[in-house]
Amino acid sequence: MNTLGQLALLIALVASGYAAFACVAGSSRHRAIRRSGTWAAVVAVAALTGVTGVLVRALLAKDFTFAYVAQYCDRLLPWPYCLSALWVGQAGSLLLWAWLLGVLTMAYRFWPGGRPSPIRRTATGILIGNCCFLVAVMVFAADPMAPSLSTPSDGAGLSPLLHHPVMLIHPPLILLGYAGWTVPFALALAALIVNRTDTGWIRDARRWALFSWAVLGGGILLGGWWAYEELGWGGYWGWDPVENGSLLPWLTGTALIHALMVWQYRGGFRKTSLLLAVGTFALCNFATFLTRSGVFGGLHTFSQSPIGWMFLALTAGSLLAGVVLVAMRRSPLQAKGTIAGIWAREAWIAIALAAWLSLAAAVLVGTALLPASSMLLGRRIVVGPDFYNNVLIATGLLLLAATAAAPLLRWGKPPLPGQWIVLSVATVAGGSIAATAMVWGVRSPTALGVAGLATATAVALAGMLAADARRGPMSAPYAKRREYAGFLVHLGFVCLAVGVTGSSLGTRRQEVVLSEGETAPWAGQSVRCTRLIRRELPGKVVEEVQLDVFRQGVHVATLVPGQHLHLLQNEWTTEVAVDSSWRGDLYAILHGGAGEGRVDLTLIENPMMRWIWLGGWIAGAGALAGLCTRGRRSRPPPTVPAPKWIGRKQRNTMAPADDGYQDTRP
Amino acid sequence: MTTGRKLAIGVFVIVGVTAYMAYLGASTGWQYYLTVDECVADARALAEDRIRVGGTVAHQSLRITGDGRHAAFSLQGQRHRLPVVCTGPLPDRLSEGIDVLVEGRLDASGCLRGEKIIARCASKYESRPARATAQRAARAGKDGPE
Repeated sequence: MNTLGQLALLIALVASGYAAFACVAGSSRHRAIRRSGTWAAVVAVAALTGVTGVLVRALLAKDFTFAYVAQYCDRLLPWPYCLSALWVGQAGSLLLWAWLLGVLTMAYRFWPGGRPSPIRRTATGILIGNCCFLVAVMVFAADPMAPSLSTPSDGAGLSPLLHHPVMLIHPPLILLGYAGWTVPFALALAALIVNRTDTGWIRDARRWALFSWAVLGGGILLGGWWAYEELGWGGYWGWDPVENGSLLPWLTGTALIHALMVWQYRGGFRKTSLLLAVGTFALCNFATFLTRSGVFGGLHTFSQSPIGWMFLALTAGSLLAGVVLVAMRRSPLQAKGTIAGIWAREAWIAIALAAWLSLAAAVLVGTALLPASSMLLGRRIVVGPDFYNNVLIATGLLLLAATAAAPLLRWGKPPLPGQWIVLSVATVAGGSIAATAMVWGVRSPTALGVAGLATATAVALAGMLAADARRGPMSAPYAKRREYAGFLVHLGFVCLAVGVTGSSLGTRRQEVVLSEGETAPWAGQSVRCTRLIRRELPGKVVEEVQLDVFRQGVHVATLVPGQHLHLLQNEWTTEVAVDSSWRGDLYAILHGGAGEGRVDLTLIENPMMRWIWLGGWIAGAGALAGLCTRGRRSRPPPTVPAPKWIGRKQRNTMAPADDGYQDTRP
Repeated sequence: MTTGRKLAIGVFVIVGVTAYMAYLGASTGWQYYLTVDECVADARALAEDRIRVGGTVAHQSLRITGDGRHAAFSLQGQRHRLPVVCTGPLPDRLSEGIDVLVEGRLDASGCLRGEKIIARCASKYESRPARATAQRAARAGKDGPE
């Protein structure tokens, strides 16, 4: 099977290389070459599917003749985690990424309703060219099909930290997000190459950007969830270089989605949109460089392979290509007078873009400070969480303000008198809530700001809904469904901000040592150590403690934190216990000593944690709704008058000159 | 004043405030990132600084108290070893032979007083050499089923 897989990998390499060349270089006169390029792309993706299938079969069958399987599987590993071994290793994750990109390429190329056009052909070529790059990296540096030198009787197994259900979803989502951001990049580059920088490519780009944004955002949030439940330090985000790496394309991608809207509705931010599409793709590759180069010191990074530098070269190459092409096409990309006034929606989007990009720049600077200081100062310097948190507070409050105002702003015009009234009411309501919170004893300016702005957003959205309901309970929301989907995402963002602020500022930690039957006070409650448990399971030994939590004498929760000894790896993992409610999480960590009749515990009260996950779900639902809605075609696509010598039948079936249309919804 | 100019001023203010907040955060939270050999070589100069040192937990050096909150070990570099004493929550994976990052300050005797230990993730992208037994053997009462 190894040989079969390696052969399929070589076929994928050759076919994808040819497909990229034929699709990009095949001019409009060489139809046969173009067609062969498309079919070569199909062959490449089919071959990649074959390789992925071979590795999945080997993982599920625990076939240790594959070196990759021997490295990441063992005989006792349950099958879902055997499957997850596909993406925990270098070679497997590259294979999955390449395969996902191949599948997305096919989805883009053969999506029903998509008409052949120069942009589509060229974008397909760029997509499959990127696939070729990933396959080349596998062939020359990380072969997933490599055979074991000597077949072991058992494998090394999966790291116990990865034995968590979230790990079955989080890495594939991140890789799918990275693959997804390749499509807007390919579209932007194709539009520049074929010099069709009208709004034709925006509909597809927006849809793919929204898909990638939702998937990558979901992946990041699930990563936070895994860290919260598995790493046992009571937090969900540590500003580690790898976490920052995945956050960067998400930030610029958010800016891209908003910039594309301004281009579509007002004709502005053309160069910004194109450069953001290129930059987001480049940052996905930069994140891979962070993870796999070993240059950055952090929680995740320990790999030192040439693969990281290949991705850095791709990052530089894609940025260079994007900047050069935008410079070459600068005259058709000029836009003037697109921002009608400071109270028009596009002006506030410009301010939000500045905030998103400032935050992204700060995260990039903080992450790249280590190698940069090493090169420039001869000393490696790193910055702590304060650096990022300070920037996040400043930009986050501004973004919340823009989110609050967004429903009441119009494209190209100031708000109507009714909208001004709602805007004033929202401002007063937000100010009142902040003042009330201050009276109740809240002193943190960040907490007061977030409380006020979240209230203002809720009032603004309610005001907009009420105004729309007066026009028609059903027709107005249906007509504005795409806008509503966007506001649902905004609502999710506000919930997320509330959760992050509450959990960051209100956390209370307490260290306790308890014997069986002993009780200790904890954050206005009492916690009793009911019993110590030690049991043996296949492949591991479990030590746990049952804690019963009482509030004013009433039993409110039972927590069972534990420590697991994984016998194969001879490694202990902390299994935290979390009792979640809308008020907050009660979070317990067992440190050790269960065998001695006394337990050493950390008890943490994390307020408003559920708001973070709720925000993610709401934003995801909004993105899904946005993907399912189509923009209205307010103007038919331009057509070319047919020459008189063409027959009537042919004239009627003649395709329009441009593949695009302009969605000019107000 | 035109809309464009108003917006330009707004963007300038946003970038300026962001940069200032970043500067405030960096001025209190920055630290040197060193290898064990660099740390040992510059021990005197680093006496006042908060540092982050990366290295491998040396074999037969790890001692962890029964409550799992205090650890003492040596960080192995290319040529030198650095004694480390840590207090606080320890990572699950702390064991001999693994790569760790220790944040803290050097005391007068050249010992690194760690406030935080980060065990580098064993998860992805490179297989680790198979570790032998003895991991966490130092932890009292936690040596598995006998």
